[in-house]
Amino acid sequence: MKEEILRIQEEALASIAKVDSMRAIEDVRVAILGKKGTLTMAQSGMKDVPKEDKPAVGQMLNDVRRAISTALDEKLDQLQVEADRQSVAGIDLTLPGRSVAVGGIHPISIIRDEAIRVLRRMGFVLADGPDIEDEFHCFDALNTPTDHPARNEKDSFYFDSGKLLRTHTSSVQIRTMEKQNPPVRIIAPGSAYRRDEIDATHLSVFNQLEGLYVDKDVTIGDLKGTLEYFLQALFGQETEVRFRPHFFPFTEPSFEIDVKLKVAGCEPKWVEIAGCGMVDPAVFEAVDSSRGNKEYEGMTGFAFGIGLDRLAMIRWGIRDIRALIENDVRFLSQLQ
Amino acid sequence: MKISLNWLSQYIDLSGLSVDEMSDMLTFAGIEVEDIRQQGVDSPLVVIAQVKAAEKHPQADRLKVCQVDAGDGGPLHQIVCGAQNYKVGDKVPCALPGAILPGNFEIKVGKLRGVESCGMLCSASELGLPDKEHGLWILPEDAKLGEPISTMVKPDTILEVEITPNRPDLLSHSGLAFELAAISERQFKPVPIEGAVLEEAGDFIRLDQTELNPYYTAVKINGVKVQDSPEWLKERLTAIGLRPINNIVDITNFVLHELGAPLHAFDAAKVKGGIVTRTAYEGEEFKALDGQTYSLNCTDLVVADQEGTPLAIAGVMGGEDSGVKEGTTDIILESAWFNPSSVRATSRRLALSSDSSYRFERGASCWNVLRASSRAVELILEIAGGTASKVLLAGAPVATVPEAAVSSDEEGIVVGIEQGKGPLKVIHPIVQAVMPWSDLDQMSGGVIPHDEAQRILSDLGIDPSDEADTWILPPWRLDLSRSCDLLEEIIRVYGLERIPSRYTGPFMPESVVDRAYNFQMGLRRQLAALGFYETQTIKLIASESMDATIAQVKDAMPLRPLMDGDLIKVALPLSEDHSVLRPSHSSGLIAAAVRNANQGASVLRFFEIGRVFRNTGGGKGKDIESDTMGILISGDMNPRSWADSKPRKASFEDMIAVLDSLAPNHKWTMTPAKARPESALGADVQLDGKPCGYFARLSLSRCRELGLKDAVYIVELDLRKMQEILTAPVKASELPQFPGSSRDAAMELPVNVANAEIVKVIDSVKEKLLVDYSCFDVFMDPTGEKMPADKKSIAYTFMYRAKDRTLTAAEVDAAHKVVLDHLVAKVKGLSYR
Repeated sequence: MKEEILRIQEEALASIAKVDSMRAIEDVRVAILGKKGTLTMAQSGMKDVPKEDKPAVGQMLNDVRRAISTALDEKLDQLQVEADRQSVAGIDLTLPGRSVAVGGIHPISIIRDEAIRVLRRMGFVLADGPDIEDEFHCFDALNTPTDHPARNEKDSFYFDSGKLLRTHTSSVQIRTMEKQNPPVRIIAPGSAYRRDEIDATHLSVFNQLEGLYVDKDVTIGDLKGTLEYFLQALFGQETEVRFRPHFFPFTEPSFEIDVKLKVAGCEPKWVEIAGCGMVDPAVFEAVDSSRGNKEYEGMTGFAFGIGLDRLAMIRWGIRDIRALIENDVRFLSQLQ
Repeated sequence: MKISLNWLSQYIDLSGLSVDEMSDMLTFAGIEVEDIRQQGVDSPLVVIAQVKAAEKHPQADRLKVCQVDAGDGGPLHQIVCGAQNYKVGDKVPCALPGAILPGNFEIKVGKLRGVESCGMLCSASELGLPDKEHGLWILPEDAKLGEPISTMVKPDTILEVEITPNRPDLLSHSGLAFELAAISERQFKPVPIEGAVLEEAGDFIRLDQTELNPYYTAVKINGVKVQDSPEWLKERLTAIGLRPINNIVDITNFVLHELGAPLHAFDAAKVKGGIVTRTAYEGEEFKALDGQTYSLNCTDLVVADQEGTPLAIAGVMGGEDSGVKEGTTDIILESAWFNPSSVRATSRRLALSSDSSYRFERGASCWNVLRASSRAVELILEIAGGTASKVLLAGAPVATVPEAAVSSDEEGIVVGIEQGKGPLKVIHPIVQAVMPWSDLDQMSGGVIPHDEAQRILSDLGIDPSDEADTWILPPWRLDLSRSCDLLEEIIRVYGLERIPSRYTGPFMPESVVDRAYNFQMGLRRQLAALGFYETQTIKLIASESMDATIAQVKDAMPLRPLMDGDLIKVALPLSEDHSVLRPSHSSGLIAAAVRNANQGASVLRFFEIGRVFRNTGGGKGKDIESDTMGILISGDMNPRSWADSKPRKASFEDMIAVLDSLAPNHKWTMTPAKARPESALGADVQLDGKPCGYFARLSLSRCRELGLKDAVYIVELDLRKMQEILTAPVKASELPQFPGSSRDAAMELPVNVANAEIVKVIDSVKEKLLVDYSCFDVFMDPTGEKMPADKKSIAYTFMYRAKDRTLTAAEVDAAHKVVLDHLVAKVKGLSYR
């Protein structure tokens, strides 16, 4: 019996050693350890073993079964490693990938979204108004004199009806206050139009973002804090922001805002970025007279406007503003 | 506006104030300094020199080696020079080594093409002066050799400042000096002005249009000697870029830039009878000082003589004929106030502006009329001699601020500032503004001390009146009348940097616009991820253009077809290329596709979100703006790569796949519609059965015209409708507990029956067990070999399931039969294969 077992072991290990495929290893396992396998068959001879030899033979059978199993598992591991090696042979990881069409969001949308996210954090909500405006909302209600240079068909796009393409998004200030009681805390991104020839620094249709906050007791400190926070969120916490007194018909006092920008390898430079000011009481009067009540009497507030095209140009170092309307994929793909 | 610091310091002591400090002060008071330019050089090393010899440079044709006498008694200086405009013997400015020229440019001894050069011969522009001629500045023969060039031209600093339109009072050297004195707390030195002696002008001056010209004065000066101005006067004018003409004209220009009040001098010999200010006759011709002839109309105000000859376009420009020239002996000096709107309208219409019109249209102060006249008369008598009449007065100054701000005493008599010596006086109403301190406390948050605010106001010439909270405004400040005007003055001078920031605000409810924005931003992100680039095209497109990269009307595929009169056209476009408001995005998307195809792009996938514009009903419904999204797909599905050298071309099914991915769990339907011009295929697009867009394939002939090689598919979608449907609330449904069974059906039907017919019929089957179905194969054979050419095969798979049990095969078969029978009955020509 013992010799028989040893012979089976010897033969089994020899045949395992010769196996060269995953399939063959399963065959061998069945041939030796299966229901009708050689070792299983040999095991059935236990009943003929004398009683006193049984423990030793039994022990031996177990040892042999374990040895064969281990040999089979080792062989299997070895074959699997080999199979892996073969399956990756010839793969050139340095080849370029297959291609997939890539798209992207327009830089103006990207920068607009950034600005909106910051301002929403500060409790501003979105508002809008028509691009085709009347003179009341575009000029009169914004305290702009009748013979203001923009109110001229050489500087603005008028229609035969007397309406015009809004020259700024500030018209949305009036549209919103007409519809809504104070407090008002809105931002309005949108197009504005000026009859400028298109060149490297001018577009006849451009993108602005208007802001307006009206409430009781809005101070110039609110204006300053809001715009500082906004611009620092856009340009970096350390960015210096300064306010230069200026003139706009619909705010008083009015300011232009500069931010100090650092460009690699250059001296930091003050760059004009936005206009703002405290809402002129004449604007509230115009709104109230249009609404036919006195909701805005005695209100206070500030307004601001920022050019998104200019913001994009600064952000990405774009030299020619026309790149923003040419939609050349070679340009758009750089800014994603 | 140009400001000469030499000139400015006539009215304010600038000592100890650096140019940069001053520039900052002005800028932060609202007067932006745009440029600072050094003019002339104040250095003993830049001297008057004489070229003694000039030999050709041995190594360079365009250079000469000059020997120069710098008047220093030493040996000649060898200087290599590239200019061509001088000859030996000319006197020129010479910068010797060590000199620093404008732009911080230091002169050093150096070699030019191997020849030593010990200095530089200078042009005027190299010394920061206006270039008189091209090349070296050739000095007069009597210039003194060796003297510093600063003896010829006094060094000066010129500021270019931007004056905002609300501050016409700053458009002069004296005006700016006053402001600077206030903001820098320095002493202002006013121009000494003699009070004018007035006389009624009587018939000599007639004002026909008192609305446009309510106030006019003239002084006759006889026996003047017209000649070149003295050097000091020429220097003032040339410093700010003006060309000296003669003493009389130069004095009027000087006073304009000193006081901001435009003046004009006429040759009295050309003025027949007296002065009339009237509107021009329609088509009246006028030859102005600039040599141009202008055709005037009846809204233009002219100054004419009493025989009818126009002498000047009022406030804009004098006439060539009536101007003061050599040989003029008697003059009439005009100082008047013209209506700003009138001057602006005329100046714009004629495209003719002058220093005078610039000031009148922004609003000159009536208060300056007599001051400027007196100042000019004084200078004329001093410089040109002659005898002057009294100031002949016609009309009276008007209040240029709102009536409410004009103060009057109890009897209703206007209290005013008097001007004029002798019995006749001009009265300027006193103008007041009410500003309670509480207004300042509110706006500033209470941080500006009242005494400091009061000091700021009084430095600006604004003083408290006897009444509480009431302030007397200076007559030159036309921009002040209300409380907020005074607050602005205080805050800009106090400085915003000294007011602490505040970071508070109310909570506000989300708006409709917020929700639309969020929806649209989501679409942007999805489409970008699907390989589309967002475009932003100009909203003004061409009515028609030969240039295919310009968006144009013929490619517009709006949601609903356009009728004549539906396009919105601007009255005066910049060019025909940008004349119509886009009625859809397709035009811009096509232009973007063309541009990128021209640049070699093979994948053309673009979208745009934004506003489109149209009228409806041929112009009955006006100016309708809506937000839509356009999507264009054309060319290869993927960029070519080693793994895919011939990518397949995009087809309309790809467009539908894109739409499907934007609206999961919703259903798009294409209902074939009449193709529009320039399209070969068109369909109305529905989302969940509701009209939501228009789909088109561009016609091949239009593609060929545009140079596009592959089929172009475009869809225009109504964003409001999409948002309404796609953002409707959704509830999760429970997952099925029991398995379903599917059955397939291959249908054969006439080639012209649309798939939509099948879908419509399936949707109408009342079979409760049918839970889903989809098309999995479409087959056609135009050759007729495998199937008749007029037939097509469409295969569907149907899923049957019950909520409460596993269906038996017999139940599934029965349900399937109901569906199949229904299809055969309802779809004409359908049979099963």
